[in-house]
Amino acid sequence: MPDFAIEARQLIKKFPARPGTGDKTADVSPTAKRRFSLFRKREPKAMFTAVNGVDLKIERGEIFGLLGPNGAGKSTTIRMLCTLLEPTSGTAQVNGFDVVKQANDVRRSLGTVLAGERSIYWKLTGRENLEYFAALYHIPQEIAKKRVDELIERMELKERSNELVEKYSTGMRQRIAISKALLARPPILLLDEPTLGLDPQAARRVRELIAELKQEGHTILLTTHYMEEADQLSDRIGIIDTGKVIALDTPEGLKRRIDQKEIIRLELTGWHDDLAGKLKSISGIENLTSHQQGEADLWEVSLQAQNSRTALPRIVESISGNGTRLVNMNVVKPSLEDVFIHLTGKALRD
Amino acid sequence: MTTSTIPLTRSLGRPNFLSAWRALAAVMKREWVIFLRYPSWVISLFIWPIIFPLSYVFTAHALSGKNGIGMTQFQAATGVHDYTGYIAIGTIIWMWQNVVLWNIGFSLRNEQLRGTLESNWLSPTWRFAYLLGSSAPQLLSMLMFLTVSAIEFVLVFGVRFEGSLWLTLLALLVSIPSVYGLGFAFASLVINVKEANAFVFLVRGIVMVFCGITFPISILPEWMRPIADWLPQTYIIHAIRSASLSTAGLPAIAGDLKVLALFGAFWLTFGYLIFNWMERRARRTGAIGQY
Amino acid sequence: MKTDFVLFQPTLAAQFRALSAIVRKDWKQYWRYPLNAVSTVFQPVIWLAPVYFMGKAFSINGQALGFAQYSGTADYMSFLILGAILGNFVNAVFWGMGYALKNDMDSGVMESNWLTPIPRLHILVGRSVTNLFVTAVTSLGMLIVCKFVFGFHPTGDVLKAVGAIVPMLIGLYGFGFAFAGLVLIMREANTLVDTSAFIVQVFSGTDFPVTVLPKWLLPISLLLPLTYGLDAVRGLLLKTNTLLSIGAEVVLLIVFMFVMLWFGSWIFYRIERRVRMLGTLGQH
Repeated sequence: MPDFAIEARQLIKKFPARPGTGDKTADVSPTAKRRFSLFRKREPKAMFTAVNGVDLKIERGEIFGLLGPNGAGKSTTIRMLCTLLEPTSGTAQVNGFDVVKQANDVRRSLGTVLAGERSIYWKLTGRENLEYFAALYHIPQEIAKKRVDELIERMELKERSNELVEKYSTGMRQRIAISKALLARPPILLLDEPTLGLDPQAARRVRELIAELKQEGHTILLTTHYMEEADQLSDRIGIIDTGKVIALDTPEGLKRRIDQKEIIRLELTGWHDDLAGKLKSISGIENLTSHQQGEADLWEVSLQAQNSRTALPRIVESISGNGTRLVNMNVVKPSLEDVFIHLTGKALRD
Repeated sequence: MTTSTIPLTRSLGRPNFLSAWRALAAVMKREWVIFLRYPSWVISLFIWPIIFPLSYVFTAHALSGKNGIGMTQFQAATGVHDYTGYIAIGTIIWMWQNVVLWNIGFSLRNEQLRGTLESNWLSPTWRFAYLLGSSAPQLLSMLMFLTVSAIEFVLVFGVRFEGSLWLTLLALLVSIPSVYGLGFAFASLVINVKEANAFVFLVRGIVMVFCGITFPISILPEWMRPIADWLPQTYIIHAIRSASLSTAGLPAIAGDLKVLALFGAFWLTFGYLIFNWMERRARRTGAIGQY
Repeated sequence: MKTDFVLFQPTLAAQFRALSAIVRKDWKQYWRYPLNAVSTVFQPVIWLAPVYFMGKAFSINGQALGFAQYSGTADYMSFLILGAILGNFVNAVFWGMGYALKNDMDSGVMESNWLTPIPRLHILVGRSVTNLFVTAVTSLGMLIVCKFVFGFHPTGDVLKAVGAIVPMLIGLYGFGFAFAGLVLIMREANTLVDTSAFIVQVFSGTDFPVTVLPKWLLPISLLLPLTYGLDAVRGLLLKTNTLLSIGAEVVLLIVFMFVMLWFGSWIFYRIERRVRMLGTLGQH
């Protein structure tokens, strides 16, 4: 029988909707139902479903990437798994402990990085932060001191460990936040956007660290906005959208889903909505995303086509004239980002 | 069930009774260290005990008139000859409650705004420890404040403390649960409230109006006196004035102490229950992460 | 296709439009915190209550005769209500104007504002206008509430009193420019703002006639222009004893107004330049 580090079954989370939004009919909360029957004149509360039946099985020792656009339910799912939020229905176990009934044991089993540099005290030094959290994780004092030294050394923060965190760079603060997650040597790590806001060098160091942690036997649930990162690090990836996991496979497995598709990448100037409509209407074109590169009038447009050979002439014909100029064009194999767009219809950065 | 539990033998955490106390001590230490790293506390410690009562003292001076004509009236109404001490103690107790509302009352909310509340909540420690732990250094700083205030009252205002230091300390001790219990309740209630400042203004305003910080309760109109009777600060002010300024001894404050003991038990329990309610609610609504 | 760029030349009308945009923005933002706005009306009433009751304890047959010996009037509540109104403005300048720049810096909008082509002092002027207007409205509300709760009985010339207050308020806001600059360069300004606002209120006589002060403290009061402003207003409205003649006090206030407007602007520009040199504009 497979042994799962994290298992979620039909996790659902509903929140009261803001006035004017939400569904007042089917999604009535249990408490609202009671009120409705006792006081007949009361309206059922409108609810908004953030997570709509998530199923996940994360194996021990794997790195699992959870991807999704903003508002997909990623943060809500993670917060349910780390016991900050209670599910409306469904169950989840982390290290075999139920997230609701055995919340404390779940917290002992997890090392979590949420909200990066905001999760540590800026008026304490790096060392003081780690010593503080070591106490909260019940690490005996003698072991805590050694462990803190070990992590400071590993994160290359020895020289600055006795300075206030407010003086650190973003990369250093992120390293302290990761150290905090590693203090009690938990079997499972939950890393929410660990490289967000870091410069390329710092981001690379964090990724190398994540790979090392996997070698050391940790199970890692990773969320990220960076496709290449998810592709590079994850053993398996779950794509979540509108509160549901819509795809779950290895990165290669996911790319194979749209293998038969081709991606045509255009770089052009003078992009406009009419042209987008024209291109989308070309037969064989399935998905179109565009984004502006920097401040200049230079746009990157990606089109998913069943057959680039038939689509290309029509594309070129649509572009010419009307002030649009094609700067570059190539046909590429689908990347994970393309898989994402194919499945969700949006780019991850949207 | 398809998952098995891996005993956390590799984990370094060893939860037991001692480790729970260490966690509480760690919260206290954290609060204390951060407090000391904002140097303005020194100014607050030395300046406020003088300038806050100052305005009331001079107003009272003005009201008593050049020949003390108003003072005779005041003495007859209060039975107190040292109006400076009378006013100083009333205002200092108000300041104590005010600071507790801002510091303890906003402790969770400030952590939430900073982003560190989630970090704390993610650890396997008893959550009420965060409130308790924040209070201990705050109480210590308030004791320092009260001591400095007493010294400054003597040196600057010429107040004469003719009462008993031990009785004063006893009165203070019995007052602590009410003052901090209210702070705990406040901390839990304002965590997701917009414009929480307005609520501090309201609560401290009630104390200012009803608790006799600069006047005897008997001056209040009939309809206001029952409200004063239900506020622990009324008894705190009365007890500490009596204990420190007069030689009437324990019998004069015994009644106040009994009432304060009851209030203290109520407010601490209420504060704890409200905290648990907030914590459960936050788990359902995700309120901890919101700001 | 090349675009022809045109730079808009700022006209007087454009400057006024920018100023009114700032005023409208601040007005809207203020009322988006309705509880705080309402609380501003009731706070002074709460702060007056202990003094009201204290006054009763000192009164003989309901008359504050002792007070009359110092101030020239037994109507101590009217005396104090006027002080509370001035206190309102002092708080508005110290807290509202004091943090006007720092809050913008902390929330990140300062860079956006300073990148616009309008003179930077105009941004502060716009904030001051709103602040003044809002405080005047809340003070009026407070006055009405106090009149019902404590009683307010002015016996003098209201128009003249308002006339005397105008240069004082303008001078106060001029000082506000300087203070905003100071708060900007300090890391933790809360204690400075809190204590200085309070000290200014205490020593300018918002709560008692300054002649009550011991001789060694009185010079502090006499150095504060606000002392004369409040003294003149009380003299005109309540016919109280004044430190100098009302005419002399009004002249002092007019001089104060010009001095503070110049000084406040000068300090502001010095600090603005320093911030630009150090590059701390975007930091928070």
